[in-house]
Amino acid sequence: MSPAILLSAFYASLVLCALGLAWRASAWFRLRIGPDARDITWSQRVAAVFRGAASALFGSRILRLLAALLLDVLLLRRLFAREKLRWTGHLLVVVGFMLLLLMHALAPLVSAKLFPGYQPTLDPYFFLRDLFGAMILAGLALLLSGRRADFPQRRGLIDWAFVTLLVAVVVTGFLFAGYKIASPRAFYRMTEQFIGSTDPVKLEPLRAVWASEFGVAFGDLKQPIDPDLMEQGRKMQRDACASCHSKPASAFVSYPVARALAPVERSLDAGRADVWLLYLHVFACFLGLASLPFTRFFHVVAAPVSLLVDAAAQDRAFSSAGRVAQRALALDACVHCGICDSRCSVAPVARYLNNAYLLPSYKLGATGALARGRLPRDEADPAAEGAFLCTDCGRCTSSCPVGLDLADLWQAGRGDLAAAGFPAPAQWVQARSALAWAESLEADSAQHPLVDADAAFAPLSAERRTFSRCVQCQTCTNVCPVVAHSIDAEHGVDLTPQKVMNLLRLGLRDLTLGSRMVWDCASCYQCQENCPQGIRVADIMLELRALSVHRLGAVRGQREPS
Amino acid sequence: MKYALFLGCKSSGHLPAYELSARAVLGHLGVTLIDLEFDCCGYPARDVSRDAFVVAAARNLALAERAGLDLLTLSSCCFGTLRHAIRFLGEDAALRARVAQALAAQGLAWSGKSAVEHLLQVLARDVGFDVIAAAVRAPSAGLRVAAQYGCHALRPSDVTGLDNPMAPTVFETLLSLTGATPVDWPRRLDCCGDPLHQANAALSERMTRAKIADALESGAEAICSACAHCHLRFDAVQVDSSDPPIRTLLYTQLLGLAMGLPAKSLGL
Repeated sequence: MSPAILLSAFYASLVLCALGLAWRASAWFRLRIGPDARDITWSQRVAAVFRGAASALFGSRILRLLAALLLDVLLLRRLFAREKLRWTGHLLVVVGFMLLLLMHALAPLVSAKLFPGYQPTLDPYFFLRDLFGAMILAGLALLLSGRRADFPQRRGLIDWAFVTLLVAVVVTGFLFAGYKIASPRAFYRMTEQFIGSTDPVKLEPLRAVWASEFGVAFGDLKQPIDPDLMEQGRKMQRDACASCHSKPASAFVSYPVARALAPVERSLDAGRADVWLLYLHVFACFLGLASLPFTRFFHVVAAPVSLLVDAAAQDRAFSSAGRVAQRALALDACVHCGICDSRCSVAPVARYLNNAYLLPSYKLGATGALARGRLPRDEADPAAEGAFLCTDCGRCTSSCPVGLDLADLWQAGRGDLAAAGFPAPAQWVQARSALAWAESLEADSAQHPLVDADAAFAPLSAERRTFSRCVQCQTCTNVCPVVAHSIDAEHGVDLTPQKVMNLLRLGLRDLTLGSRMVWDCASCYQCQENCPQGIRVADIMLELRALSVHRLGAVRGQREPS
Repeated sequence: MKYALFLGCKSSGHLPAYELSARAVLGHLGVTLIDLEFDCCGYPARDVSRDAFVVAAARNLALAERAGLDLLTLSSCCFGTLRHAIRFLGEDAALRARVAQALAAQGLAWSGKSAVEHLLQVLARDVGFDVIAAAVRAPSAGLRVAAQYGCHALRPSDVTGLDNPMAPTVFETLLSLTGATPVDWPRRLDCCGDPLHQANAALSERMTRAKIADALESGAEAICSACAHCHLRFDAVQVDSSDPPIRTLLYTQLLGLAMGLPAKSLGL
C-alpha cells in the first residue's frame, strides 16, 4: 500500500469535488427560470444573493436562521410532523454519517486530539464504528422503503449513484474490518510491531488466545488448546495488546463478518486482501467525495444555502435578481422527498387524470427540465396541464422541509411554459378562430359523431334534449356580463351564449368548441338562472370547455395558424 | 352546531385572515369547526375534465361523510363546486360508478349523507339572527357597505338554494346586524371577474373595476365579501391603481369587530 497513491487520489477527489461544487453552484446564477429572468445578468444575481446572504448572516435574523438550520435542515421537523418512519431513517443516515466522518475518517484530526487514548480497535470506538455504519444502512433502508407514492419515482442514475456509493462505503468498511479481525497477517504485523517477533512457536500462547477470543483464523493451531497455554497467552495479551485492542465481539457487524470470512481467510491473506480491500473502501470514499456535487448528495450543500437565501428573501430589499437565483437553487435543494406531493390540493385530480405533473415534486422536475432545454416534447402538454391546474394553495411551500418558495417557482414555470408555446388552454384555444378550429376538426369529426363516446365526457351537450327547448330568446346573451363587457373587437365575444346554444341545437357542436365564448365564460350562471326554458347554459359552456381541451388538443399540432 | 371547515385553496394560501376571523367569530357563536384533510374542491379541474372535478369534490364529501359531518365553506366558489358535484352525482349513474371506483381506491365512499353549507347559511339559519344580534357589542356606526355574495353562492339557485337569486337579502340582513348600513348597488349580483383573470385578464379587470366604481357611486365605503375569490380580486385590481380606492372587508372581520373581538384575532 502506497500512501503516496492514496494521498494523490484524495487530493484529486478533493479538487474534483471543489470544481464540481463550483460548477453546480454556478448554475444558480446561469439557469434562467421565469420570464423575468431574461433581463437579469448573472452578475446581478451573484450580487443579489451575496448581499442578501450577508445581511441574513450578519443581521438580527441570524438566530432565527440558525434555529431554522438546526430544526428544518438537520432535524427536519416538518418531516417529523408527517412521516416519523422516514424522519427516523434520515436522522439515522445523517447522524451515522457525521459521526463516522468525524470519529473514523478524520480520526487524526478529531478523535486523536479529543480523546488521548483513541484507538480504532479499542472500545468504545471499536463498537461505535460499527454502530455508526449500521445506522447508515438501517437509515437508508427506512428511507427507501418508507415512501408511499401514487406515481412511479423517476429516480435517475444520479439518485441511485448516491445511494450506491454510500452503501459501498459502509459495506467495504465492514468487509475490511471483518477481514482484518480474522487475518493472521494482521496479527503478525502487530506482534512484530509491539512484541518484536513473528515466531509462531514463541507466540503460541498469544495465538491460542487470539484464535479463541479475538477471532483470528489461524489454520495451523494445535487443537484442543491447553488451558495452561491459554492462561499464559492471556498474560501476554494483557501486557502487550490490551492497551490498544479490545475483544472484537463488540464490533457487532465486523465480528460476524470475520467469522464468516474465516474459511477463506488464508486465501484472502495470500491474495493481499489487506491491500485491495482497503483500496476498495478508501476509493469508494474518494469516489463519493469526487461525485458529491453530481449526485443527490449535493442537497447537503444546496439545502442550507437555499435556507440562507430564503431567509434573505424575507427582506423587502431582496431583489428580483435574488429571486431568480433562488429558483435555480430550489432545483438543487429538492431531493424529491414527496412531502409536498402528499399535501398537494390537487393530488386527487392528479390521480384521476393520471398526470404526475400536477404534483409539486414532479412539477419542479419539469420546471427545471424546461429551463435546461431538456423537457421532451411529449411531456410538455402534461407539464402544462399540471402547471395550469395548480390552485396556488401554498401547501407545498408550507410543507417543504427545506422551506423552498415553491409558489414563486410555479409562477415562473407557468411563464416559461407559455413562452415555450404551452400556455394555459384559454390562450392556445383562443389563438385561433372558432371557424379555423372547426376546419381542423373536420377530419377528426368523422370519428366523433355527436352523441357517442363523448356522452360520458360531455353528457349535456351530447344530448339533444338539453337544448332542444331553446327558443332563441337571447335572454342568456342579454344577462351575460362577458358579452356586456366585451367592448373591443380583438378580445370580444365571437359567439354569444344563445348562438352557441343554437349551433348545438343544429348538431354543429364542433363549430362551438373553438369559440372565444367557451373560454371567456365567467361561469357566473346568470344565463342558466335566467333562462326561461330551463336550459343549463353555463353547465353546457363548462362542458364544452373541457371537451375543447381534448378535441382541439388532439388536432392542435396538425395545423398551426399561419 | 358542528361542521367540517372547508377552507378552500384561496383562503389557506392567500387569505389567512379569512380562516383566522372565521374561527374566531364562529367559535364565539358556538359553532364547532373540525379540520379534515380536505383538498381542492375541484373547481379548476372542471376546465379540463368533468370526471376529475367530481372525483376531487367527492373525495372531500366522502371525508366529511366518514367523519359524520356537514361541510361549512368560506368561499362561494368552493360551495358552488361541491354542490354541483352532488347534483352531477345524483343525476348520472355512470358518473357515480366511475367516481365510486376512484374513491374506493382511496378507501372512501360517497353516499350523499354530508351536506354542503355556505358560511352565510350557517350564520343565518343555524346560529340565527337573534343570537348574532345579541353577540354584537360594538356595532359599527353606520359604515356603508356593499355586500358581495359571490356568484356561486346564489346561482344556479336550484343547486345553491341560498336565497332568492334575483333579490337576495340574507347577506344584507347579516350586515345590518353589525350596525353597518348595506347599500343598494346595481352591480351587486354581477361577477367579480376573478374566474377570468387567467383566461382573459383585460376582460376580467374591466368587470372588477366596474363593480368597484358601482359600489363607490352607490355610496359604499367598503365592499364586504362572503368569498375569498371576490375579496382577493377586489384587492388585486386596486394595487398600483389610480382609480378611487374602496376598502375591502370579509364578513367575518366585520362581524368580529362588532362582537368586540380584538382586530388582531381577525387578521386586521
